[in-house]
Amino acid sequence: MTNDTGLAQDEADVLADSSPAGLAKPISGVATRNSTIEIEALRERAKQTRATCLAMSFLAREGHLTSALSCVDILVALYSGRLNVSPQNPRDADRDRFLFSKGHAASAFYVVLAQAGFLPFAELATYGKSGSRLPSHPCKLMLPPLEISSGSLGHGLGMGTGMMYGMDLAGRRGRVVVLMSDGECNEGSVWEAAAFACAHRQERLIAIVDNNNMQAVGRTNQLMGDATFEDKFQAFGWGVRTIDGNDIAAVLDAVDEAPFQPGRPSAIIAKTVGGAGVSFMANDTAWHYKVPSADELRLALAELGAAPLIEVPA
Amino acid sequence: MRRAFSDALVQIARQDDKVIFLTGDLGFGVFDQFITEFPRRYINVGVAEAQLVDCAAGLALEGWRPIVYSIASFMTGRAYEQIRLAIGYHRLPVLVVGAGGGYTYADAGVTHHAKEDLALMALVANMTVVAPGDPNEVAELMPQLLRGDGPSYIRIGRFGEPRFESAEPIVVGRARFLSRGERIAILTTGGSVIHALRAVEQLGREGIRPTLCHFHTVRPLDQAALGQLDDAGAFVVVEEHGVQGGLAAAVAAWCLENRRAPRVVRLGPGDDLVLGNPKQQQLSREAGFDDNGIAAACRRLWSETRAAA
Repeated sequence: MTNDTGLAQDEADVLADSSPAGLAKPISGVATRNSTIEIEALRERAKQTRATCLAMSFLAREGHLTSALSCVDILVALYSGRLNVSPQNPRDADRDRFLFSKGHAASAFYVVLAQAGFLPFAELATYGKSGSRLPSHPCKLMLPPLEISSGSLGHGLGMGTGMMYGMDLAGRRGRVVVLMSDGECNEGSVWEAAAFACAHRQERLIAIVDNNNMQAVGRTNQLMGDATFEDKFQAFGWGVRTIDGNDIAAVLDAVDEAPFQPGRPSAIIAKTVGGAGVSFMANDTAWHYKVPSADELRLALAELGAAPLIEVPA
Repeated sequence: MRRAFSDALVQIARQDDKVIFLTGDLGFGVFDQFITEFPRRYINVGVAEAQLVDCAAGLALEGWRPIVYSIASFMTGRAYEQIRLAIGYHRLPVLVVGAGGGYTYADAGVTHHAKEDLALMALVANMTVVAPGDPNEVAELMPQLLRGDGPSYIRIGRFGEPRFESAEPIVVGRARFLSRGERIAILTTGGSVIHALRAVEQLGREGIRPTLCHFHTVRPLDQAALGQLDDAGAFVVVEEHGVQGGLAAAVAAWCLENRRAPRVVRLGPGDDLVLGNPKQQQLSREAGFDDNGIAAACRRLWSETRAAA
């Protein structure tokens, strides 16, 4: 079902329900497992993450801001202690494996890794520069704490199913969490992997789809038809939960509650806004490639009310 | 070669409990022994080559030693993206197996022709590429590849290929001198070595004695072996592979880089599609790279090189 904006109705609802610039609406603080204080702190952290992404994009002249900003809240939630990972012991055999499969949104991932202690803040300024450990698409060979290199879409879920199988076989605890973009799910390999995960009853596997409904050159629901991610993953035998993916509390709850069905892998369909947090970028496909000017950066930072973790020369 | 492969697989799995086998829904009945002994280390991912390779990469990241298996044309062509990035970019020790390489399935139609498998695999970062010539080489090379720390590809044929005996050791990366002669060096890879051995026998009765040097490993190329062929004025390179990116192309490049200028004659299938569903033997006969084709080329070169000398 589409309305006059060309968006599917459910996407449009998410937009309408969201606070200005597509940030998560204030949570009630009632009946959630996660304390309001913790959530507030994480929301402040997410502002800092976004501000730093903008600064990195500006310094590196590297785009993909809508993709990065849409998944910030998911990443902040995961790295707030929900993932069992530690910079002190990044190869711990029983750690959770987090596979960042939407590699083009790397800036957000790098900032969250730095906030979690995996990288020095200063290194974020090298993003996208020659010789940096932080290229515009993440490289495990240069940054060993990563589980995988990414940049070519459609590999993360398949590799995640292999890791899960191997962990089960070795008697390892830990979950496998794969973050994909919705455009990534155009790739057939995602669905080959989805079928495998169901066949092998991988209930400690969680796929999160950053469903911002934006692709490089179009809208996901227009390019792929109107079958929803919920229908698709359900048809592949997964337990499915749809959330507001820019609501940190909702992300935390969903991750805490997985698996949604015993013996089945879990898909979290995270309805997000591309460019969330900056009103003039939100839901604008032009910002998939655009890089902010100095004025636009100032404007965006003022709107966020947060300072980047790296210095931007005046 | 298929039986040698499945036997070697069981042997290796008994010795190394990290070995895990994944198939793209192929090998009916071939792996029953393996499945009986190691049910959890056997995965049939279905007709899903991308998943076959991505899944294996994930297993390798967890410390397992995956072997992935499908028909060579699908294994190398359809899953190339996954082999290149999930295995190659991640530098993972996955053994990729292409069953029915080259024109093993010539009569099954173009979809099943794998004349580019060696070229594609040789383009993957750090990948070792082997095309054994007989079941003995399959059995010897497989465990060596699985002990290596990088990715590798092995092309295997069908069931029931002949074996040949030689005192030359079977070691990854080292060509085998199967006969030592003069003036002409026949260089082979894969199952073509059987044709070449028969050609050498034929030619011997006529007093023509070429050297036969067999390259079961196409990459890395055994340059030391090529360096021992200084006295040969002509190389006859026999490969069941496309013109580009196979043994002949590698040998020609080596000659230029090393200021060697033998006459290089490539025998093998041509560049065009093979239509009409010929049998493998028929194709090699018609395209001139079977026993008689090799012998004929050698006779021609034998008289030419004598005239030149």
